[in-house]
Amino acid sequence: MNIAFYLLSALAVTGALLAIRLRNLVHATLCLMFFFISLAGMYVLLMAEFIAAVQILVYVGAVGILILFAIMLTHHITGATRERISSRGWLWGLGAALAVLFTVLLPVLLLSVLPAAPATPDFSPSVRNIGLSLMDPYTITLQVMGLLLTAALIGAVAVASTSVRPQDKPRT
Amino acid sequence: MILNTLLDNPDQILVNLFHQGAALLQACPALVIALGILLSTVPLVAIFPACFAITTWLERKGLARIQNRIGPNRAGWFGLLQPMADGIKMLLKEDIVPQTSDRLAHFLAPVLLLIPAFTVLSVLPFSRNMIPAAADTGVILFFALGSISTLPVFMAGWSSHNKYSLLGGMRAIAQMVSYEIPLVLSTVTVVMLTGSLNTVKIVEFQQVTHWIEGSNPALQILGQVLKWNVFTPWGFTGFLIFFISSLAEINRCPFDLPEADSEIVAGHLTEYSGFKYALFFMGEYVSAFAISGLAVTLFLGGWSGPNIRPWWSEDPRALLIPGFVWFFLKMFALILIMIWIRGTLPRLRVDHLMAFAWKFLMPLALINIFIAGAYYYLPHWIGWPAGLIVIYACYEGLGRINRRHLGPKRIYRYA
Repeated sequence: MNIAFYLLSALAVTGALLAIRLRNLVHATLCLMFFFISLAGMYVLLMAEFIAAVQILVYVGAVGILILFAIMLTHHITGATRERISSRGWLWGLGAALAVLFTVLLPVLLLSVLPAAPATPDFSPSVRNIGLSLMDPYTITLQVMGLLLTAALIGAVAVASTSVRPQDKPRT
Repeated sequence: MILNTLLDNPDQILVNLFHQGAALLQACPALVIALGILLSTVPLVAIFPACFAITTWLERKGLARIQNRIGPNRAGWFGLLQPMADGIKMLLKEDIVPQTSDRLAHFLAPVLLLIPAFTVLSVLPFSRNMIPAAADTGVILFFALGSISTLPVFMAGWSSHNKYSLLGGMRAIAQMVSYEIPLVLSTVTVVMLTGSLNTVKIVEFQQVTHWIEGSNPALQILGQVLKWNVFTPWGFTGFLIFFISSLAEINRCPFDLPEADSEIVAGHLTEYSGFKYALFFMGEYVSAFAISGLAVTLFLGGWSGPNIRPWWSEDPRALLIPGFVWFFLKMFALILIMIWIRGTLPRLRVDHLMAFAWKFLMPLALINIFIAGAYYYLPHWIGWPAGLIVIYACYEGLGRINRRHLGPKRIYRYA
């Protein structure tokens, strides 16, 4: 179990780092997908196979493919580009990460606020439970979200579709 | 004693043999786990490539007969050794990688394609108690893992640095993403009526248990067949939608636009040669097996088929013919239909393909969900005919609405 965890976290961190650092956009996206998949593996280790499946479906199957599509449809950024942005972004990032580590994470870990055992030992994140809670206490939320997404979808179609229709001519 | 338990359950011989072996190795639990892992993975990796070899022969022979040719007939009896000759040829071919290609992605794409293709097989129940990974969320896992397979196709198309490859890759993604929607929506009906995403439970739902466990052999046979989901109005529609979408999902004819050889050479496969090409081919066929296997599990009763209890057996659930025989028979029947369609139908145009998915299959699949819901609450003698009538009316109506947007008829003039 532990070996799998270390392996997966090493893969996830490598994937995430490469996704930020690689110059080639397509490579970076592929690494991002790799990161998503290793994260799904972590969810499997946590016995949340439904979340893992949804993670792959949403992030790899939809978001990642969408990013790739956007890259393909934009000109001039498909391959390796020579442009360099000279900023010390990584320094700021390292500073921020260290600050979070020392001010938030380490004190919390040292003061051992985190319980040693899971709070609810009989907790089973099964699909049935997720479905029941979506249908019982959170019905209104679910409906509103569905409405919002439908509106967004219709809006996207309205923005994307051209109003001018070329006249169909018999082709020769 | 051991022989008795084995003979009592002819369909469970392999499972019981494994349990006997596990009992012998009880002293070392790590070995039992290793044995279990090996037994649930090695057969998948061994059997499905063998099925792939047989299917290439079947496809070449079948297409040849449809086109009034003889097909492969030199290597072995009826050309049966042809797949082996093909394999040796592929292995010995020179592997050509374009100079401007992205080498790592170009190399990884065929390898990555095989991973989801083989992993999805593990949620399919091949027989009673014979499922490599009995996950509670089997159906969703199948689609999640299956959706990864768009990625290697894109990698192949992009990394080849070839316009045809890129076009093929783009087409493949657009098609796979569009057809995933009707594919998933058509399975929702089955999940709704079963009340579970577990593939084992979905198969059990399609059996009449008290008939199978009764003493009448005729009822035992009927109990394994009559309750298949395909014999209900929603199940029949769902099966057709699922089958059509699965053809698009695995880029089979008439939806083989990504590798349309008359337009874009071979799409994302253009720059692949030798064994990498063979790997792509194998990945496609294994996905075809997997998705046919899921169709069999969801709509055609999985491993249940006309079967009786052996007359000497004490166990009420024992079966004479092992379940995997029926499973593979049904799977190969679907594969044969795919070959038949490939020999019969011409390729679709891109806009036709998209319009068909979004304007016809998706609304029909949505309506089908409502019909399945009504079928669940109505008594069957009303639900069955009413469902059939409503489905047929919707089919006709959708067809008529879509026909209006076709525009004036095109006239082609040939030189």
